[in-house]
Amino acid sequence: MKLFYSPGACSLGIHVILEEIGKPFETQLVSTRDGANRQPDFLAINPKAKIPALLRDDGTVLTEWPIIAWWLAKSNPMSNLIPVEFEAETRCLEWMDYLCGTVHPQGFTRMFRPANFAKDAEDEARVKAQGKALAQGYLDLIESRWKGGTWLLPTGYSIADAALFFVCEWAVGDRAQMELPPRLKAHRKAMRDRPAVERALKKEGLS
Amino acid sequence: MNTLYYAPGACSLGIHVLLEEIGAPYEAKAVNLREGAQFKPEFTAVNPKSKVPTLVRQDGTSLTEFPAIAYWLAATNPQAKLLPEGTEALARAMEVTDYAVATVHMQGFSRIFRPMNFAPGEADHEAVKARGTEIFTKGLKTLDAALEGRDFFAGSYSFADMAPFYVSFWGAERLKMELPGRLAAHYAAMRARPAVRRVMEREGL
Repeated sequence: MKLFYSPGACSLGIHVILEEIGKPFETQLVSTRDGANRQPDFLAINPKAKIPALLRDDGTVLTEWPIIAWWLAKSNPMSNLIPVEFEAETRCLEWMDYLCGTVHPQGFTRMFRPANFAKDAEDEARVKAQGKALAQGYLDLIESRWKGGTWLLPTGYSIADAALFFVCEWAVGDRAQMELPPRLKAHRKAMRDRPAVERALKKEGLS
Repeated sequence: MNTLYYAPGACSLGIHVLLEEIGAPYEAKAVNLREGAQFKPEFTAVNPKSKVPTLVRQDGTSLTEFPAIAYWLAATNPQAKLLPEGTEALARAMEVTDYAVATVHMQGFSRIFRPMNFAPGEADHEAVKARGTEIFTKGLKTLDAALEGRDFFAGSYSFADMAPFYVSFWGAERLKMELPGRLAAHYAAMRARPAVRRVMEREGL
């Protein structure tokens, strides 16, 4: 199994999940900052030019963050990373879809890649500001809808926490410099206390 | 009974078709996005994200996010046989759904249809639309490639056909684009289904 990742990108969450599972896996760095994701050798792996991508033991590639996470959790049931009960599994998917389909691409991408949204520097500043306001709204919504204890789901630690984690890391990072609402702040701390998270951060050169 | 909150011709169309295919009684309530009904308290009480589709279930709880709703409906109605069997087939079904929704729709089509959401300055709108067209066109090609050797996205008809259907609908009807061959055949097969016809009629399309 091989994870294609870029340091500190959303692939960090999948990296955490692989560390939690604890089976051997390889990683290959594809720097999205350098545009390595648009080079032919990576396009042969994932024509969508996106990370994370997971090359599995049978040689096939799986894409889309929530699906890679879901598949890893389902095929490693002993790791207890996805709720067994169906309603809770549905909520798990719902949160991952929101984090990866809205919070990330609609909020943080505006802050980190304003040029994808605007063409001149003046507009870029406005796009960044809009991204920050959107991201704040999304984080506040997660805080207000919180039904878990330490973890996002009331059923306990899951792959949804790994999705929330990369988002919270971005929020407090240099590029966004946001204040996390209390529950999210506590969640980030609890995540960083996990040995698997520590290993993933270290391997990506982020700790 | 489930209640679907939808807007005519919006992405909720895919969930509407899924409910119609399942065939169990449900209620469909239109939310007028043009008038901003999704931001009014009556709707934000149902879904604070202000988005369609939203599904209010028998127990009164709301479910949001297209892929989660589609998966839940297919899984809780096994008699409809719209849930691919086995982890691998299911993973592929969810993968295509996520891609159609989170990339082709939200990154591509949204730039074309709502450029003001992406660029504050009017002068940028043409550039935003052009970028949207690029993402959308590439998305249709990727979906087309996923149909190689099969008529439906998971082999046989399933919930995985719903998201590609609504983006095809937008491409063919809203943008008047020519769909790539396999996707065009998929779209035609979808349009020919009685359940799809009923939904199109109900949504006034």
